[in-house]
Amino acid sequence: MALQDIGNRQTAGVTLRRLHKSFGAVEVLKDISLTIEPGEFVVFVGPSGCGKSTLLRLIAGLEEVSAGDVFIGDTDVTEKDPSDRGIAMVFQTYALYPHLSVAQNMGFGLKAAGRPKPEIAQKVNDAAAVLQLTDYLDRKPGQLSGGQRQRVAIGRAIVRNPDVFLFDEPLSNLDAELRVGMRLEIARLHRELGITMIYVTHDQTEAMTLADKIVVLRAGRVEQVGAPADLYEDPDNMFVAGFIGSPAMNFFPAMMGNGGQIELGGSRIPAPVLSNPPAPGTPLTLGLRPERYQIRTDGPAPHGLTFQVEFTEYLGSSSYCYGTIGDGLACTLELPNGFRPRRHDVISLGLDSQNMRIFDQSGLRIR
Amino acid sequence: MTVTSTSTADHAPPTPRKPRRAGWHGLVYVLPALALVAVFFLVPLGMTVWMSLHDWPLLGNPRWIGLANYDRMWGDAGFWNAMRFTAHYTVVVTIGLLGVAMGLALMVQSQGRAIAFYRTIYFLPVVTGFASASLLWAWLSNVDAGLFSPAAQMLGMTDRRVNLLAHFDTAFWSVTVMVVWKMAGFYMVILMSGLQSIPSDYEEAARIDGASWFQRFRWITMPLIRQPFALALVLCVSGSMLAFDQFYIILNGGPRNQTVTAVYKIFNESFVSFRLGYGSALSVVLLVILMVLSAIQLCLLRDKGAAK
Repeated sequence: MALQDIGNRQTAGVTLRRLHKSFGAVEVLKDISLTIEPGEFVVFVGPSGCGKSTLLRLIAGLEEVSAGDVFIGDTDVTEKDPSDRGIAMVFQTYALYPHLSVAQNMGFGLKAAGRPKPEIAQKVNDAAAVLQLTDYLDRKPGQLSGGQRQRVAIGRAIVRNPDVFLFDEPLSNLDAELRVGMRLEIARLHRELGITMIYVTHDQTEAMTLADKIVVLRAGRVEQVGAPADLYEDPDNMFVAGFIGSPAMNFFPAMMGNGGQIELGGSRIPAPVLSNPPAPGTPLTLGLRPERYQIRTDGPAPHGLTFQVEFTEYLGSSSYCYGTIGDGLACTLELPNGFRPRRHDVISLGLDSQNMRIFDQSGLRIR
Repeated sequence: MTVTSTSTADHAPPTPRKPRRAGWHGLVYVLPALALVAVFFLVPLGMTVWMSLHDWPLLGNPRWIGLANYDRMWGDAGFWNAMRFTAHYTVVVTIGLLGVAMGLALMVQSQGRAIAFYRTIYFLPVVTGFASASLLWAWLSNVDAGLFSPAAQMLGMTDRRVNLLAHFDTAFWSVTVMVVWKMAGFYMVILMSGLQSIPSDYEEAARIDGASWFQRFRWITMPLIRQPFALALVLCVSGSMLAFDQFYIILNGGPRNQTVTAVYKIFNESFVSFRLGYGSALSVVLLVILMVLSAIQLCLLRDKGAAK
């Protein structure tokens, strides 16, 4: 049985219009407008306290909106109960009822809706077969592993046949190995169901690997919305540039020089092509990803840029080197395979101006 | 610094270690508690059983009569009336108390300054002694000097003043209301601790699943507060089975000895009629009944393998 055979599935997009949420005097979400297409996998990502879980709870109807509208499909659901929104949610803690069996947990929504027992059993068995839970239907959640509990939580959501799936940091309670496995399962689930999924995480790796579209949030505002590659390659500001990518992008204080050059730590390097270049003497921030340097072993650096090694992390398939450039500016490099510098070694660096990202003093990107 | 492997250097087997034992000093810690239990429970219990096997007058020598005191209960109509009334009172007051306590606990389980105020208000009667509360109620129920009867007349509920304590039904309900007023706060706290231990995720997941308030209460809340509920139930049933003060102070067992409880009967036999042996036998029977009832309740409400 394939996942799409479970029930007659339909999906809906989600539209948020000028959404605000306050708890007392504290405004946690500020003027959020967003369109999520039907069938899209959207990830809300951001640091702790940025409002991503609150935004998900507003969509679910678990929190009341202070201002603005929530549409699921063409329906305004802002004032509707969670159960009338056509959504299903997988919680960070799984929220499996500990006194009920796996089958009872999965069929809880249908039982509450007064569906006949044979129908509930049929749907639960179908979902359990797909999620490899058939042998565990009579067990209590406490008798299952973390991964199995996660699958039960997903199964409970599937059985409800929702228009939109909501995930609130569903993998954060799992160990690293299981997290990768469950990530693949969720990706498979999305591919086979084709249902709109909204997923909250603080882990940018999860966001990059799962999302069709990432929404980066900070302090209750949307910083940027886009495909993972767009956010990585073309960030709108320093926050997004620094948040997306691991290790994070290197930032160096620099200054716009004359003749289309940038002054960086005593070196003068060619600036990228900018449609609106700042005036010479303008302070700015230069951003460079750790893998976008050229390590020169055949001679001195073309712009006199050198890197002093502090220590190296060997990760098997790749290595990272932490040290300083210029006048002691902290910098991280991804090393080519087989290249193992030692502490205090000095490496000559080459830079391609196309790989540089330039930000103004307020942190906004200069393009 | 160099690190070398020592696995080949030392072929001697590892030194076996004995597991640590708690030792006799652990007993020292529990000795005070054991002494209290022995002096104030086990010794009196043994003495009560011993007395129940005797004809034990207040003055004079006790006389061994074996199980005659227990045999006598079969034909003692007063004993059966007291047991029937105690059972009736226990059922009514337990339902009333736990129902009101659950309602209050549901109302005040959330956080907040106003909620804390209401919790305090609901809990205040608990700190009043049963005797004081009973005296207060006796005064409030007094047909001339009290409050209830004139208030009922003023509100047009009755055309004349009614002595609430003169008729069995009104007297019984008057005492029941007093006990619920006085004790509901105590059981509210027990149930509230259970409610507050339920993660909010369960409630939210059930809301998304479309469960109504009643369905959530019945299928999620009640099973998850099974243990605090069992504690409240056992305390409530045993407390009601041992009821005495309120019926003694407010009603003096009346009207027409219809509100004599099991403990009241024991009191009468032991300290009014001075049949201490028979009173002890009644006490032993009441203790056995209480133990059996508590065991049944705990078995029925036992958490059957729900892992958290």
